Amino acid sequence: MRNLNILVVDDDPVTRKLIEKKLAPAGFSITLAENGRRALEHMGRELFDVVITDLMMPGEPDGIGVLKAARKKSGYTEVLLLTGHASVDTAVEAMKAGAADYLQKPVNFHELMIRLDRIAEYKNLSKTALDLREAMDVTECAAAETIQELELRAAVLQDVLHKIGETLRQTDLAPDQRLAMVESHLSAAFTEVS
Amino acid sequence: MKKITPEEIRQLSRYIYDVSGIALDQSKAYLFETRLGPLVEAHGLADYAELCRKARTGPGKQLENEIVDAISTNETLFFRDNGPFELLRNKILPDLIDARSARASKILPVSLRIWSAACSTGQEVYSVAIVLKELLQQDLNRYRIKLLGTDISDAAIAQASRGTYGKFEIERGLPRDKLVKYFRPAGAGWKIKDDLRAMATFRKLNLMLPFGALGKFDIVFCRNVAIYFTPQDRKKLFERLAGVLAPDGYLIIGATESLTGVCPRFTPRRHLRSIYYQLNTAPKNELRKSIAHRTGRRVSLTA
Ligand SMILES: C[S@@+](CC[C@H](N)C(=O)[O-])C[C@H]1O[C@@H](n2cnc3c(N)ncnc32)[C@H](O)[C@@H]1O
Repeated sequence: MRNLNILVVDDDPVTRKLIEKKLAPAGFSITLAENGRRALEHMGRELFDVVITDLMMPGEPDGIGVLKAARKKSGYTEVLLLTGHASVDTAVEAMKAGAADYLQKPVNFHELMIRLDRIAEYKNLSKTALDLREAMDVTECAAAETIQELELRAAVLQDVLHKIGETLRQTDLAPDQRLAMVESHLSAAFTEVS
Repeated sequence: MKKITPEEIRQLSRYIYDVSGIALDQSKAYLFETRLGPLVEAHGLADYAELCRKARTGPGKQLENEIVDAISTNETLFFRDNGPFELLRNKILPDLIDARSARASKILPVSLRIWSAACSTGQEVYSVAIVLKELLQQDLNRYRIKLLGTDISDAAIAQASRGTYGKFEIERGLPRDKLVKYFRPAGAGWKIKDDLRAMATFRKLNLMLPFGALGKFDIVFCRNVAIYFTPQDRKKLFERLAGVLAPDGYLIIGATESLTGVCPRFTPRRHLRSIYYQLNTAPKNELRKSIAHRTGRRVSLTA
C-alpha cells in the first residue's frame, strides 16, 4: 500500500512526539508542526495526504483554521481532528466544515491506525482506478501498433513463401536458376521487412 | 478541478518528456487535470503553467518527484499475464542454472542477476522471487541470486521496498495459498516475508539515463513501460538493454509488445505459447548470407 504523507499539528510537544513515534514505524512519513502558522507553511511546500490537527491551539490559525486552509487548497488532503472531551460539539461542527473524522484525546492509536488505513486504502483505490484507465488506453494503442506491424510481416512472409513455392514447381528451369530466384525472392522480402 | 489549456499541456508534456521520457499529447487533458490538479492546488499555484515553471526552476527535486509520482502509471499486479512466470519456472531458470552450474565451482556458487527494469510497486519482483523459492526450495541458498527492481517513481519504489500491499492489491493476481505462505498480515494489509524481501534490492532509476553501470544481467524484465515512450526512445532503450544482457541472457517484454522491427539485436524465441528474446548470436541476416553462399558455390561448380 502507498505510503501516506502526514502532517501532524499540535502545540503539545508530547502528543506530537508520541504520534510520530507510533506512526513512523508503521511506514507513514511524518512532518511535525507546533502551531497553525507552521502548519500552513509546510502545506505550502508539500502535498500531504492527511493532516492530523489538534482542534484547540493557541494563536492563529487554530485547528479549525488549519482545516479550512486545507479544504480551501485542495480536495486531495484529508483532515483528521484531535479534540478534548469538552470540544466534541466543535468537532461535530468541524466535520460539517469538511473534516474526514475526529478522534478524542488522549489518542487511541489503534483507532487512529484504523482511520489512516482506511484513508490509505481509499487513496490507493482512486489511484488504481485512474492508472487502470490510462494503462488500458496506452496498452490498447501499443497492441494495435504491434498487431499492425506483425500483420504486415506475416503478409510479406506469406507472399514470399508463395513465390518460392511457384519457383520450385518450375521444373523446366535448372536447379541453379531456381535457387537464384529463391534467393532474390528472399532478399526482396528481407528488404521489405527491415 | 482546474481546467488545463492546450498551451499548458504543451509546456507540461514537454517537461514530463524531459524528465521521464513519458510521451503525452493533447488527447490526455483529463490525465493532466486529474493527476496534476491536486498538486497545483496543494502548492497554492495559480495554474498549470506555474507548476511547470516552478518544477523547472527548482530549488531541489521535490516538485519534479511529485510530478513524476503523479503522472506515472503504476498499474501492475502479481503474476501479471502468468506466461512469463511459467516460462521462468519451466524453461529459463532450469536452462540458466544448468548452463551456469557447468561453470560454477565450490568457491564460486552459481550466480544469477535478474532485473525488473520498471518494477512499479514491486509485484513483478516478488512474483519472480516466489517462482525462485518454489522452484529451488531449500536449495535456494546454494545459489547467489540477486533481484534488482528499479523505477522512476519514488513513491512506487518506496512501496516496493516496504513490500506492503492492501487487500485490493493482494486480490489481484496472488493465489490464496501463496498469500498465506509468503506474506504476513501487517496493519490493514499484508507484508512480504523477510526471506523473500532479502532477495531483492530496489532503487530509483530513470530508464532514459545511462544504466550500463548496473553491470550484466541474466534475465531482464522490461514489461509495459516502453509503451509509454516514443517509438525512437523505445528503440534506443532496447538497444541499451541489449548492452546489459549476458550473451546467453533472456529478455522478457510485455504481452502486448513486440521487438519485431524495433530492435534487430534481439531474436524472438518461443517456448510453448510464450515468447522471449535473446541476443543474436550470428550476424542479423544470417539466413540470407548462407543462401547467397550456397548459390555462389553451386554456380561456381557448374561453371
Ligand atoms: C505500467 S507499470 C509496469 C510495471 C510492471 N513492469 C508490470 O508490467 O506490471 C510502468 C512503470 O514504469 C515506470 N516508468 C515510467 N517511465 C519510466 C522511466 N523513464 N524510467 C523508469 N521507469 C519508468 C512507471 O513509474 C511505472 O511504475
